[in-house]
Amino acid sequence: MMIFGDAKMNCEEFAISGLDRDLESGGSDSAAALEHVRNCPRCAALYERSLGLRSDLRELGQLTSEASAPSRVEMRLRQEFRTRHTTEKSRGRAVVASWLLAAAALILVATSLVPWRRGGRNVVATQQPSTPAAVHSVAMGPELGGTLIAENDGDEFALIPGVIPGMLDDTTVVRVQMERGSLGALGLSVNEERANDIVQVDLLLGADGQPQAYRLPQTSD
Amino acid sequence: MNKAGVTPGETNIELQVSDDALLKRSARGDEEAFTQLYRRNQAQIYRFALRMTGQAWAAEEIVQDVFMTLVREPTKYDVARGSVGAFLYGVARNRVMKHLERQPREFSLEVKNTDGEVRAIELADERTPAHWAEIRERRERVRSAVLSLPPEFRETVVLCELEEMSYEEAAQALDCPIGTVRSRLHRGRALLLAKLEMLRELPKRASALR
Repeated sequence: MMIFGDAKMNCEEFAISGLDRDLESGGSDSAAALEHVRNCPRCAALYERSLGLRSDLRELGQLTSEASAPSRVEMRLRQEFRTRHTTEKSRGRAVVASWLLAAAALILVATSLVPWRRGGRNVVATQQPSTPAAVHSVAMGPELGGTLIAENDGDEFALIPGVIPGMLDDTTVVRVQMERGSLGALGLSVNEERANDIVQVDLLLGADGQPQAYRLPQTSD
Repeated sequence: MNKAGVTPGETNIELQVSDDALLKRSARGDEEAFTQLYRRNQAQIYRFALRMTGQAWAAEEIVQDVFMTLVREPTKYDVARGSVGAFLYGVARNRVMKHLERQPREFSLEVKNTDGEVRAIELADERTPAHWAEIRERRERVRSAVLSLPPEFRETVVLCELEEMSYEEAAQALDCPIGTVRSRLHRGRALLLAKLEMLRELPKRASALR
């Protein structure tokens, strides 16, 4: 360890705390370091080199102080940004579109099912309480055409004799033209005088393909 | 403090809020906001990467990586942990360290311009070619010495000497106590002096051997 005369800082202390200081800035520590440098040629030389280094580093910093990334980096990043967000947007649009399609399909199915179900329920609902009357009038009516038209009164089906009202699930409506006399095959009474007339009949076919109920549209007469 | 008047930590609150807002807009797909954010921060990140790696291509790659993180994972930034600038700086540091781990001994002595081309150091005045050559040689020595420092000392020297940050600002950027910055800087300078001394002595030894 080197200690010089009146200096309060030795070489080791100078190397630790004095070397990084700006000795011209003042302050008690700076004054002690400056005093040490004046009396120690070795530390003075070290201090000179340290000042030179800091100057060189600053100069090196200045050389690259205006440096910035080339414009191609910005272009690449913007391209990536665009691609990513466009993909996300189109993916979002596709999701929305698929949901809309699904909703539309659901609405379509619902709108086509509701009238049919309502029709089916009408048969069941109206026939259950009115079955005896309907069957009675069908069975008893001497003039089939007039009786049927009066019974159906619009879109309602009348059960074919022998069909149990509760078995009308999974049915299909078929419109056919036939001779009035053929209605006899369904168990209905037919007016012999009009047996050769062509009539239009809506048949409600069950799951087994057998007619369960019938309807004579107004236009058929 | 850097030229924009903002440290990598947090100084200018107005700018920080604005950076946050830009990042939010950018995350919603606003390309203009992303571009603004990039232009505001890229130079600082690029300079740090360039000074740490000594390679323009590496600095370019690092800048791209850093901002690609913002494009791909904007939610990675947590406003509670500091400014967007500090976040970007942290990401850049990680990338730099990874790069240095991969190529610990590889550094270029060339000074390149922003387009990656080799650039001659401009003469500040009309001195003799011999004088210019001497200046250039000294710069190259300093540059080599800085690039040969261990990463933790190198980044402290880069921040405090080349970027001219205060100890506090460097401590914020490096996420370490001020005392650590002081000691690393002291040690870094001592290493640099020793390396420069060695580099200065090499030509003399070589000529003595001839």
